[in-house]
Order: sequence, then C-alpha cells, then structure tokens
Amino acid sequence: MSSTITKLNAPLTQAFDFQPSSELQLTPTPTLNTLTQQLAGFDTLTSALEYAAEGITGYNFYDAKGNLRSVLPYSALRQNARIFARRLFGFGLPRGSRVAVIADTSQEFIELFFACRYAGLVPFAMPIPVNLGSHVIYVQQLRGMLESSQASIALANIDYINFLEEAAKETTCIQWVGTPEKLSELPAINIELQPNYPDETAYLQFTSGSTRTPRGVVITERALMCNLQGIVCNGLEIKPDDRSASWLPFYHDMGLVGLVLAPMVTQISVDYLATRDFAIRPLQWLRLISRNRCTVAFSQPFGLKLCTLRVRESDLKELDLSCWRAAGIGAEMIRPETLRNFAEKFASAGFDESAFLPCYGLAESTLAVTFSKIGKGCRSIQVDSKTLIDKRMAVRLQADGRKQNEFVNCGRPLPGHTVKIVDEDDQQLSEMMVGSVLVHGDSVMKGYYNNPEETSKALKSDNWLDTGDIGFLFEGDLFITGRRTDVIIVNGRNIRAQDIEELAEQQPEVRSREASAFGVNDEDGTTTIVLVIECRLTSVTERQSLTTRLQQFVYMAFGVNCVVELVPPHTLPRTSSGKLSRFAARQGYIQRTNLAGQLSFVESGDR
Amino acid sequence: MTESNYDEIMQLLCDRLSSLTNSDTQITPEMNMISQLSIDSIKLLNLIMEIEDTFDVSIPINALTDIQTVRELADLVHKIKSAS
Repeated sequence: MSSTITKLNAPLTQAFDFQPSSELQLTPTPTLNTLTQQLAGFDTLTSALEYAAEGITGYNFYDAKGNLRSVLPYSALRQNARIFARRLFGFGLPRGSRVAVIADTSQEFIELFFACRYAGLVPFAMPIPVNLGSHVIYVQQLRGMLESSQASIALANIDYINFLEEAAKETTCIQWVGTPEKLSELPAINIELQPNYPDETAYLQFTSGSTRTPRGVVITERALMCNLQGIVCNGLEIKPDDRSASWLPFYHDMGLVGLVLAPMVTQISVDYLATRDFAIRPLQWLRLISRNRCTVAFSQPFGLKLCTLRVRESDLKELDLSCWRAAGIGAEMIRPETLRNFAEKFASAGFDESAFLPCYGLAESTLAVTFSKIGKGCRSIQVDSKTLIDKRMAVRLQADGRKQNEFVNCGRPLPGHTVKIVDEDDQQLSEMMVGSVLVHGDSVMKGYYNNPEETSKALKSDNWLDTGDIGFLFEGDLFITGRRTDVIIVNGRNIRAQDIEELAEQQPEVRSREASAFGVNDEDGTTTIVLVIECRLTSVTERQSLTTRLQQFVYMAFGVNCVVELVPPHTLPRTSSGKLSRFAARQGYIQRTNLAGQLSFVESGDR
Repeated sequence: MTESNYDEIMQLLCDRLSSLTNSDTQITPEMNMISQLSIDSIKLLNLIMEIEDTFDVSIPINALTDIQTVRELADLVHKIKSAS
C-alpha cells in the first residue's frame, strides 16, 4: 500500500467513525417564524443576527442520502458564535485581523464566520480541494491566500486540517492553526462584545485560484448590507413563507452572500446539501426543494445542466417542484437552451418556467448587480450576428434565415446602482452598442486586499468597477454577450487565464511571457481550454513530457483537461508594449486549427 | 476484507474507466487517470457515484487529492470498504 494512503489514515477513520445513529431524531427548523419578518435594513451582520436569533428559523444540513445531519437555529448560531468569539479574544489580536476558514458546508463554518464578526475580526472562506491529485497545488493555493491576507489565525475541520497545517508552515503571519474542536478547548475571555460599524470590513472574498497573485475582495459591512437589501427586497421580494435550499459552496460569493447571509437577514430557513453530494447526485437537491417546500433556490447554469443530464425519468414522479417560485440563475453566461432543457424535463414534476430568475453579479460588487423581474421567467432577445460582429451593435432580428445570436435579459441594476457600457477609450456607449460592462454603487468593493496593482485595474476613476464582462443595455436591461479573454468558464467554474499561464511558467522549459491561455467553444457551448506555449525543445520525448506535465498541472489546479499546443518562439502575437495578447493568440490558434465559426465578437481584449 | 474483494474493486474500476474514456486501450492499474485517461471532473463524479453505489461506501473528497493512478484509487476504495 502506498504511503499516500497511509498518510490519510487519521482523517479517514475520523470521517467514517460516525455510526448511523440517527436515533437523535432531528427536526428541521420550521418555515414559518414566530418573529415578525424584517427584510434586511440592518446596519451590520451581527445586528441582523441578534434580531434573527429571537425567532425559531435557521440552517439545516443534510447528508448525501438526504438525511438531516445537523440543525442550527439562528438562536443557537448566535450563542455558539458568541462563545467562539470570546475564545478568539484570547489571542489578543487587533480589530480587523484576518481569520482564514476552510469552508466546507458545515455548521462550524457559519459559527466561526459570525464568531469573527462578534470579535471584530475579518473572516474569509477558503475552498475545499476537489480535484484528483491536487494535494500539492491545493496547499500552494491555501498558502497564497494566507500570505496575501496576512491572516493571523487559520481554521479547518478534521478532514482538511492537514492541508492547512502544511500550508501554514512557511507563512509569516499565522499565529495559530487548528480545528473548531481545538478552539473550543481554549478559555473564553469574559469580555463585553463590541458592536461593529458600517465602515468596517465585514469579510474578504477570494476570487482566484492563483498561487502567486490571489485576489481577496474587501467587502465592508455597508456594502454587504446594501447588496443584501437589494437582493431580498428588489431581487427576490422575500416573504414570511419563503424557504431556501442550496448546494452552492460557502466559499463562493453566491453561496455565502446569496444563500447563507441573505436568508439570515430575512430570518428564513435554509436546507443545505454539500456541493460534492449535489454534484454526484443532483436529484437530492430537487428532493430537498420538493420535500421541504422550498421557494428560493439558486444555481449556476451548469448545476441545472447536471440536473437535466443526471436525473432519471423514473425519479420525476416523486418530485413536486411547484413550490419553487424563484429559481435564480447566475455566476456564468446563461444560455437560453440550458434553461429550456431544464424546464422541459422538470415540467412534469411541477416546475414552472416563470420561476427562472436570471441575474448578473460578481464578487467585486459583493454579489448581485442586476436582477430580472421576479415571476417573469427567462426573457431573451435574438439579434443579428453579422451586425453584432461588424458593428459591435445588437440589432433585433428582422428577417428569418439570417444567422442570429440569442442573449438572456439579466434585468436592471439594484436600487442605488448604475450600469454603463463603455468602449475601449472608456467612452460611454448608447443602448444596443456592445462594450465593457461597468458598475457603480454602494455594493462595489473597496479593492483587493493588499493588492493595489489588481485594484487599480478593476476600479476606474470615480470608483466605477470594470467587471471584465462584455454586454449591452436595452430599455434599461442588461444583456451579457461574453467574457473578456481573461476569464475562461468551464463546467461552471471561472478560471483566470493568467492563473493557467502562471502554472505553465513554473515549468523550467517555459519562459515568462511565453504562454497564452484561452477558451474555445464547440457548437453545443462546451468550452475547452487551450494553452499555447512558445517552445524551444526539439526532442519529441521532451516535448511530449512538457505537454503531459502541463496538462496534469492544469488538471490538478482546476479539474479540467486542456489542449496544449507547442509553437516556435515568436509565434504568439504581442502588443506594442510587448505584452501577450490572448485575444490575438486565440484568433491565431483558431486559424491554425481551422475551427469554423469561432472568430468571435464577444471579446474586446485583455484587461 | 479479502483479496477477492480487492480484485472486484479493481475490475469494476477498469471496466468503468474503459467505458468512460471510450478507448480501446487496456486499462492497467498503473495508469495515470489525469494524464493518460483524461478523467475530467464530470467523469470523475460519475465514477465516484458508481463506486459508492456498488460498494456502499462514501468516498471523502479530501482523500482524492493524493490519488492519480487507478491502483491508488482501488487502494482507497478498498481501505474505506475494509474500515466500514
């Protein structure tokens, strides 16, 4: 037996130690509260929790088989978080110090997150490892986040603590690494917990898997409260009989802000399924919605695709999805077919397609920017492809038979927010003209923590956020037509091209600025990552070895396969300043490989 | 847990991997699932579901980070099955 397996001994036995002792007979928190619903409007997270804790609703955690495993009413969350906060005080950290927590879908993560806020500390969620063979790269990614945030404390449960300890070993700021259990053994300091203020940082949200330049979005209490208010009042029109179900990871902005914090600031109950359990058996999510009569549940288009593909016809008759009034869709480009296929498949299970709620947002604007009108379903327009490419202008299809593109209406900005479309010279464009999407408003981040270079790229003058996405406005509604070439979306995951190029440049054979990564799409919308490398190697074996190694690294870091193309030096197109142009590299690749219909209008170049 | 159970696990893995990758090449225990078999995350989820359903085990996600070859995966499944 290999040594890797032996190393796993400790966490594994722990993980499988629990007996199916469900004699505990847990009951989920109810949908209807005893407390009058207040729809956001709090000044900080902790004041929102103080209010929610007066009621009987809260969070429920289900296992892969759909059994209820733990229940965390908001009242218990408040109590447990305050105890953890008093233990955190024992470290004597200055207010605003960062605390890293590996965010599996668990009660402990939420308790620690709020404990940090009660203690005046700034928590941030770190991902769990999901890819085969990703050990080394995952630890590097954790280390990157610990370093960039200058975190003082790092926590993970027993399943992930080994990775965290490994990552913390060579970091400079970490004072303490441990599990929630270990934290529970520390003394609770008897101290009055201080209130927080709207201008304080509430948390950091990391947006990139880069090992060298991670980007931690700084979100203040004010930005968070502003965004939550818009989401629950204007986006979702939350009511007292609402209930959510979610499989979205807690380390993702949509999972954390949308499905952990938004329910709490409206005091509604949520049913959670771990992301892994959803990904393996998507039916369990639909079962939860059906069984617990959930009304609000979000997914990326990819999640809906998984449901459409993997749920069997014979499973449909046990489902009643008629309760689902807000099926929020966001976090990646929305293709109308994905929604149509889902609606078609689940119509017989009571799913009403008017529940589709396309929205647009990004972590740099806390979460949400625009919401389409609730209860109206997915609306889209068809525009003429040729005019779109030639004039960068969306013109509604006039005659049949012309090549067309269909784009989903993502709705209007939340109150107090503005979206504008600009060209390459930052000049504002009129309606129907395609350009970069910029956002202004109170939800916009302060910047990336400790990263002025990336911050200045994203935040333009007067605090306009450059989203990096391309789209147009029509009658005040936003339509996204594509991403710029610096983000590649594969299977619902946003991958920064720069992060892939960085991995390549870590190979001794690859010089810096000689790697270019981008995505190409096939006809059914599947994206493949292409990595083009300028390569001086002549031996077939050495070239093969480099190709295989690069594919392996990309897989381990991002869980996706990629095509590696080795080209002679000076093949990759550069800008006048010597920077590689991914846009031009992609056009070049497409021409070399004769991919039809791929020369695209959606990208405008590199940010 | 006996040797025959291990062989059963290995057999299932090889069969499933062979159909997932649609290839005529013989799957061997030493094959690297990432570089040689191109098992992407979707195929991996399918494979895990089938392993879990067939052997009535639960594969923890943190354990996969040290797995690259077919044999390593078989060892892991065998180990979990033996512990349960």
